[in-house]
Amino acid sequence: MIKIIKYDFIRKYKLLLVTIICSVLINLLAVAKSGANGSFGFLIAFPMLITLLYIGDIIKMYSDDLNKKSGYMLFMTSNSGYKIVVSKVITAILEGISILLIYLVFILINSIYISYVQGFNIGINISEVVRAINQVLSGSLGFNLGHVFVFLAASLIFSISFILTAYTAITIRKSIFSEVKLGGFLSFLIFVALNWATSYANGQSMSALSSYYDNIQIVGNMISATQLLIALLPIMIISVVESILMTIGSGYLLEKKINL
Amino acid sequence: MNQILEINNLTKRYYNKTALDDVSVSFQKGKIYGLMGPNGSGKTTLMKVIIGLHKQTSGSVLINGVPLSYKTKASVSYMPTENYLYDSFKVKDIVKFYQDMYTDFRTDYATKILSDIGVDLEFRVSKLSSGLVGKLKVALALSRDVDIYMLDEPLNGVDVLARDVILELIVNSYNENKVIILSSHLVSEVEKTLDHVVFLKNGKLELSGDAEDLRLQRGLSIENIYKEVYK
Repeated sequence: MIKIIKYDFIRKYKLLLVTIICSVLINLLAVAKSGANGSFGFLIAFPMLITLLYIGDIIKMYSDDLNKKSGYMLFMTSNSGYKIVVSKVITAILEGISILLIYLVFILINSIYISYVQGFNIGINISEVVRAINQVLSGSLGFNLGHVFVFLAASLIFSISFILTAYTAITIRKSIFSEVKLGGFLSFLIFVALNWATSYANGQSMSALSSYYDNIQIVGNMISATQLLIALLPIMIISVVESILMTIGSGYLLEKKINL
Repeated sequence: MNQILEINNLTKRYYNKTALDDVSVSFQKGKIYGLMGPNGSGKTTLMKVIIGLHKQTSGSVLINGVPLSYKTKASVSYMPTENYLYDSFKVKDIVKFYQDMYTDFRTDYATKILSDIGVDLEFRVSKLSSGLVGKLKVALALSRDVDIYMLDEPLNGVDVLARDVILELIVNSYNENKVIILSSHLVSEVEKTLDHVVFLKNGKLELSGDAEDLRLQRGLSIENIYKEVYK
């Protein structure tokens, strides 16, 4: 499994490096043009753009393995379908965590910069840096570093669930429906149907949990990071369960029904 | 047990086509088999079912008596006719990939034959000519130490001189404990290397037999038998 993950990263490390370099350049350009406002703008725009690129990259990686001849490199090896799909999911999680860490570095550096620009005098120790970041985030965006962590963790879980929906759709297309015409269109329809099914399951589960939400007390105007975590926890757990089920289903199809 | 690969009543259907129709054939150790037939006769589909890239609609395939699964892939080295290698990799990275993924891969042997056939380890796959890709694919497939070698059109896109080199590599890989299956349109070129021939026609097994026996029985070369079968 580690070898499959290793080669997935070897195949894409150049793309990841280019993305990081471009992000740094865009951040510098934004700061050079608009100062602290540019820095804020970058911190807001970066996660949206990078999430789109990340999801696109991860889905393309799997799609290429199942739809291009280069996929034979992987599927000729004596790895089970389950091992292959789990490796792909772990690659997706590791790539997602790497992107989160990179974003946190951007938050750190930009917050220090903004603090200096706004006249805060911070020393070089962790607690002051965290205080500066919280000051910047709460003053300008209305939340703190705790919110950012909860939000990023939830985003990663939801992204993985979304990616697995795409993986499952591609796998169904290349197994159960591999002998049917209009493959790409069919794959998209399966993806839409799976998304509808997971949204429906989420909706039903959330309704069943309405009493849980009634018990969450909001003190003041703003929800705390802990309350945000408690509020998101059920849907995060449901997403994880759905992701596990889709991983098992895709693994079974890769093992028993695949036609590359 | 001399029989290494057994195919029973194998059928593979696609959307509107039957690629393999109730094929039953067995392969024995110590022989080089020629899988013959024009385009669309089912040669590639048969090989892809054996390596597990395609799943059969019905029938069974046994490798050393074991039904197909991801585990049986460890006993088969397959060279697809397409360029399946990662484009962005250098040859040395592909060799490292094989070394990492296959415990039976003989890195020293691969390095030696790649050097002998003029494939530089520093070349990037995307920059290789089709002839060099062909040589690289054959070298990689034959550098594994397995029971079954399947080479799909190993002479495709390869110049006349390189064909001799590739055929020599194949013959040198011959071993009484292994079976080599190769498909080719170039019947006259591979004829002399074959012990046994299997002719497929429209997905059905048309003829199978010892190459020498068929020549004697019919008084024809394998190439002429091919022409007779597919005329």
